Amino acid sequence: MAVTKTQFPRDPGLQSRMILTMFLLGALYVVFVGVLFAAGVNAGFIVIIAVGLSVAQLFTSDKLALHAMGARVVTPAEAPELHAMIERLCIQADLPKPKVAVAQTDMPNAFAIGRSQKAATVCATTGIMNLLSPSELEGVMAHELTHVKNRDVAIMTIASFFASVASMILQFGFFFGGGGDSDDDGPGFFAVILVSLVVYAVSFFLMMALSRYREFAADRGAALITGRPSALASALRKLASGMDKLPQQDLRVANELSAFFIAAPTKQSIMGLFATHPPMDKRIEALARLEAELQRGTLAAA
Amino acid sequence: MGFLDSIIGGRKKLKGPAPDRLFALSTAYVTLSTGHGIESKGVAAIVFQPLETADFESIVAEMEEILRGTGEETGTTIESAQDEHDYRWIILRDDDIEDLVVGINAVSDGLTVGGYGDRVLAAVFAFRDSKGRPLYFIYNYKRGYWYPFVPAGKHARAGERELQIKAIIGAELPIEPELERWFPLWGIPI
Repeated sequence: MAVTKTQFPRDPGLQSRMILTMFLLGALYVVFVGVLFAAGVNAGFIVIIAVGLSVAQLFTSDKLALHAMGARVVTPAEAPELHAMIERLCIQADLPKPKVAVAQTDMPNAFAIGRSQKAATVCATTGIMNLLSPSELEGVMAHELTHVKNRDVAIMTIASFFASVASMILQFGFFFGGGGDSDDDGPGFFAVILVSLVVYAVSFFLMMALSRYREFAADRGAALITGRPSALASALRKLASGMDKLPQQDLRVANELSAFFIAAPTKQSIMGLFATHPPMDKRIEALARLEAELQRGTLAAA
Repeated sequence: MGFLDSIIGGRKKLKGPAPDRLFALSTAYVTLSTGHGIESKGVAAIVFQPLETADFESIVAEMEEILRGTGEETGTTIESAQDEHDYRWIILRDDDIEDLVVGINAVSDGLTVGGYGDRVLAAVFAFRDSKGRPLYFIYNYKRGYWYPFVPAGKHARAGERELQIKAIIGAELPIEPELERWFPLWGIPI
């Protein structure tokens, strides 16, 4: 009676890649902290500052992001259709309703932001609302709500924590040329700078990979919520062709926030390693597989 | 469990229906009608987002068939409608609220047995108060809670009235405790 059919089987490949990436990030940071302590660096101070910055980032990033995008939180009276769509998706996804914001820009995009499920905001640009059909937009908003459900903002902030520690050490190192109390500890200090550089570089690539995996997971979650993988695939196809025509000034502003967008606002770079988002083709392919599974589940059950 | 799932972003499926508190409406209705002049409009509906697969369509068709069969005895009529968000509504009409509750439960059971319990969004029962104003009770299947919904014009709701109704019936009907989950449903076709 209470048995629910699992409409999509697990994606063990995606999950194991994600876990491996998280493990590598964690291992990297453990080694980094070990090196800091072994080198006798007074890391406590830096770590405290970094914790403070990360917490501040968690609590203010939503407002900053909305501001940077020129987005404004809208009431149900101002955007009744968007609100009604999100309300239904929230019931389906079993989420409290996030704030809904709209950015007045022709750039077609959408993003979710906020440290927790209760303090989340989802934002769509007027461009994306004009470009997509209702069912496509629904797929995109379900993708953003999955980011909220999966706590992606908090996870990416935590994942980037040690990278920011490393980058702070680099900056302190270059600006002040050494830690105050250890003037005679020259070689150790340069080793720390070197290690910080490596940590920063490696964690950067790992974070980009993690971000790409979470995009796949959000696509999958969206397909699960709406039951229409092909609608999201169609939305992504439209976004992929619309994205190249963007005005450059918008890209610059949007770049730092790109991890939380539905589509990366820059053209896919030559090296996939630098991208926060997987290539559109791969995402559309993955959604096509989900649609096939959905339709096939059909045959098996009939 | 849920938290770990969210960390690795690997939820396998949507949350299914919560423990069933649908039938609480039958007893609560006695209080509503005798004590507060809130009367059933004799119509209720269940809303779900359909999958465009042959299996899903056949299960829905089969379920409607069964309902029509039992409807001949109870006098419940059944129709279905598609709204502007592409959600499907199955609408039941019967002057006896017990029959409506049983009928709505049959629809959600039919979908659950077919393996699609997680597609069901909500059940909606239509009422009117002593002044003839419309009032809905919405049952959220994922949460297993009820909440009142009083539309007041296009995309506006009478929040005060909804809270009054919660105060009236909260002791008998399991009301959704989190106000931010009192999701409105605009354009309810009943």
